[in-house]
Amino acid sequence: MSNMRIVDHPILGKLEERPAVSFTFDGRPCEGVAGDTIASALLAGGIRMLRVQEVTGTPRGLYCNIGHCCECRVTVDGKPGVRACLAEIQPGMIVESGKPLPQRKELAPHA
Amino acid sequence: MDKLIVCRCEEVDLDTLVEHARQYDCSARELKLRTRAGMGYCGGRTCRTSIDALLCHLTGSAAGDELPLKVQPPVRPVSLSTLGGRLES
Repeated sequence: MSNMRIVDHPILGKLEERPAVSFTFDGRPCEGVAGDTIASALLAGGIRMLRVQEVTGTPRGLYCNIGHCCECRVTVDGKPGVRACLAEIQPGMIVESGKPLPQRKELAPHA
Repeated sequence: MDKLIVCRCEEVDLDTLVEHARQYDCSARELKLRTRAGMGYCGGRTCRTSIDALLCHLTGSAAGDELPLKVQPPVRPVSLSTLGGRLES
């Protein structure tokens, strides 16, 4: 997992050291730091696609980052519709990306 | 970029909105009902003002003059179990 975290910001200064927190995203082991949201931990790890649009299957990710647009919703420990930009990562958390919904065959664009 | 998406939840692009608005001479509400723009998961909180502004630009009428895209509860996503109380098994 790459690390794109900004550790020395021109205005905010140096990032304080925080304990690492491990979780999984779609079965893939990921690591963030304590206090990260799911979205910030994944973004720092280079993962930007959090779900797909349910009907068309086009990629979606972090958009407003304030819990407003619901674009980043993921499934956390089996609970769907969790906004990745608001939920803080916990050790051992199982995060899964949003999948397309089943479509009637005659309506499905990729059928 | 092949299309400019206005409503991300329902994936409605600008061309579709302009096309429908021109073809049917829509109110904002009619445009919403025809294209589903603003009817998605976020409840139109992200694109409502864009749709109102687009219609204002196309028709010259001020947004919300006649049939505005109204805001109705819940103002933020609430689970049914929060609303109604979860039944404990």
